[in-house]
Amino acid sequence: MNALSRRSFLQLSARLSALMGMSACAIPRIAEALEDLAQGSAPVLWLQGQCCSGCSVSLLDAESLTPYKLLTKYINLGFHQTLSSATGHQAVETVNKIIAQGGYVLIVEGAVPAGMPRACMFGEEPFGNQLARAARNAKAVLAVGTCAAFGGIPAAENNPTGAVGAPAYLRSQGIHVATILVPGCPCHPDWLIGTVVHLLKFGIPPLDALGRPKAYFSKSMHDQCPRFADYERERFARTFGEEGCLFKLGCLGPITKTDCNIRPWNGGTSSCIRAGAPCIGCGEQEFAAKAGFPFLTKARAAGDKEA
Amino acid sequence: MSNTITLSPVTRIEGHLGVKVDIEAGRVARAYVAGEMFRGFEVILRGRDPLDAQHITQRICGVCPVEHGVASVLAQDMAYKVAPPDNGRIVRNLIQGANFIMSHISHFYLLSGLDFVDVAMITGYQGRDRGLLELQAWVKSQLSSRLVYPAAPFLPRYSAKYLQDQETNFGVLRHYLDALEMRANAHKMGANFAGKLPHAATLVPGGVTDKVTDLQMTKYRTQLEDLQVFINQSYLPDVVAVAGAFPEYFTLGRGCGNFLAYGVFPESADGNAKLFPAGVLLGGSLQKVDPEAITEDVGQSLFSSASGRKPFDGETVAAPDKPGAYSWLKAPRYQGEPMEVGSLARVLVGYTDGRNAALKSAVDGLLKTLGREPKDLVSIMGRHAARALECKLVADRCMQWLDQLVPDAPAFSDFTIPDSASGYGLTEAARGALGHWITIRGQKISNYQCVVPTTWNCSPRDDRSNPGPVEQALVGTPVADAENPIEVARVVRSFDPCLACAVH
Repeated sequence: MNALSRRSFLQLSARLSALMGMSACAIPRIAEALEDLAQGSAPVLWLQGQCCSGCSVSLLDAESLTPYKLLTKYINLGFHQTLSSATGHQAVETVNKIIAQGGYVLIVEGAVPAGMPRACMFGEEPFGNQLARAARNAKAVLAVGTCAAFGGIPAAENNPTGAVGAPAYLRSQGIHVATILVPGCPCHPDWLIGTVVHLLKFGIPPLDALGRPKAYFSKSMHDQCPRFADYERERFARTFGEEGCLFKLGCLGPITKTDCNIRPWNGGTSSCIRAGAPCIGCGEQEFAAKAGFPFLTKARAAGDKEA
Repeated sequence: MSNTITLSPVTRIEGHLGVKVDIEAGRVARAYVAGEMFRGFEVILRGRDPLDAQHITQRICGVCPVEHGVASVLAQDMAYKVAPPDNGRIVRNLIQGANFIMSHISHFYLLSGLDFVDVAMITGYQGRDRGLLELQAWVKSQLSSRLVYPAAPFLPRYSAKYLQDQETNFGVLRHYLDALEMRANAHKMGANFAGKLPHAATLVPGGVTDKVTDLQMTKYRTQLEDLQVFINQSYLPDVVAVAGAFPEYFTLGRGCGNFLAYGVFPESADGNAKLFPAGVLLGGSLQKVDPEAITEDVGQSLFSSASGRKPFDGETVAAPDKPGAYSWLKAPRYQGEPMEVGSLARVLVGYTDGRNAALKSAVDGLLKTLGREPKDLVSIMGRHAARALECKLVADRCMQWLDQLVPDAPAFSDFTIPDSASGYGLTEAARGALGHWITIRGQKISNYQCVVPTTWNCSPRDDRSNPGPVEQALVGTPVADAENPIEVARVVRSFDPCLACAVH
């Protein structure tokens, strides 16, 4: 496999630093970090904030590269709360030693309760503090899942903990580190594994304006929809279980840029729209954010039916 | 003199859990179990469209999303007075059954397995199994590397007595590798009808959104056959082998002795006949479940809302600095008493109920193999055994449900959302009794409360300072080495705690 040239690293780093609102003097440092990562397998530290572990579970459902291969051939997963043997003080020591050593890829799952630090603790330490410490010594941060990327449901309207996504939290703490967002609720295992492997082998992948890898988050769901022909012919499903385009049931395909329609879930088994379920836009920044913006609009479709 | 040991975080469970135990004369004298994370789902749900609920509540937990989705659509079915057609009911069972199988296999191998299996023994492996030889090569290369934590995430670990018989140890270890694949296959099987897992797409009030086709049924059947082979030839025998190597764990971790099951997997149109029946075992006698007897105390929980409320009237107001409170879990009580929920509760209720002959004979058969009495099931090993047995019963029944599906027949009954309504949905997650209570005003959610399996099991002390089931189960546990308190971890993990669920 071809490693990236110094020149491409600098280009990537420039793009990334612009994205993160950093000054040009940070570019060489980012480039250096990325070059190190591209050498091969790397230590990975996985931290969980206000999460449901769904993105970890989704990763374990991977088929493109099995989790076992990922663990034994690609990365050294120093710590993961759901998988690690180390418990209690051993877990705390493990994480702290990894942070002290530095030079790892930090994967974050879950939001940060910025307004209520007690709402997420790792041992005696608020998760926000731990995340900040870990990010300072990381070579790159992957915010995995919509909670880590954008805040997700924990940050939805009326939430009591002041939850925010990891990048927003780190910015608020003045920490600038190369960050890739791999949202999704959950994150599709291919998106995560593809991004990790790209990062390890080639450096930071091309990202969209939000910081998501373009490989998975560049085309509208709607444009790749298996029910697109129904939309063109204005054949709309009026209620669940009906044939036709799901738009009138609330489908958010037109404003969602994920590739589920051409990358089915669970080893290619199915996807929301294939199974008759309107897209709820789970990979987008606005996912679940507003109480007045419902996932499903059955009432609207039913009204049409009566009309 | 007592000495306090803190295990925080307890890993290899779902979520953020901290446990403190006071040790006196080498045994746990008092235990405090704390949920260390909070998001406020019940607060976030207020004011939203009711049809958001099955999607939002599934995100409470990535391990048990299907069960939250099912509890939510059952609550909405009741509120909208709609019943799914047979296909809809059966498809829900097939998705939930797949998630049970995924969960139980994950729990025994990935989560609690490393408390019993000796991974380090692999360096001396002399057999010819390709998977184990690959693992051996990897562990050896890791141990000779300069990595801070070689062979992570399997090491470091507590120094303790793990499996010592090589054949048993390598067998379980080999099946750990298989389990990684099998649990993914179980999700794949469920995704045939769920659209995707975790976080099923297709669950809606009135049934499911997808159509039932021959192709889906065939794929599900093929995947289920493979899982049945694994459950019968690996999972169940491994539980028996581990139980044989750790006989003392049939006497530890007994808990509160009360059991609650809402029942699960409806097998009749009215939903009353279930594969696992509902029931309460309180003071040893079997009673009917009365939802009105459920309350939640918050006296020692990090909430300032009213204590002792029934779920329909429940409130959730966070109070992170509340003096004396130590957990983000409320303390659910049934007739004021703490209740253990989970596979063991379902198996004991079903066994005592006696109507499910397959369950009764399966329990008797397993007890005979183990050389144990029914009372021994109330223990650490009993919980693992109940889970494995239940996994088999669910898998076998999924095969029968498949035969009851009618391809291309409807799986959804239409409904309208009333201006005002309320309903509750009682089901079971792999980890135990799960209930959602919804109240709708002006076609919006005006209140939503979830009383969740691990909230029961890992509950903190209630307003009378009566400890929760895991807190009670820990008392009396011998701890040989305060630096390596594996006995405490084994008690806690036997309940398969899911903290994201419990705190929600």
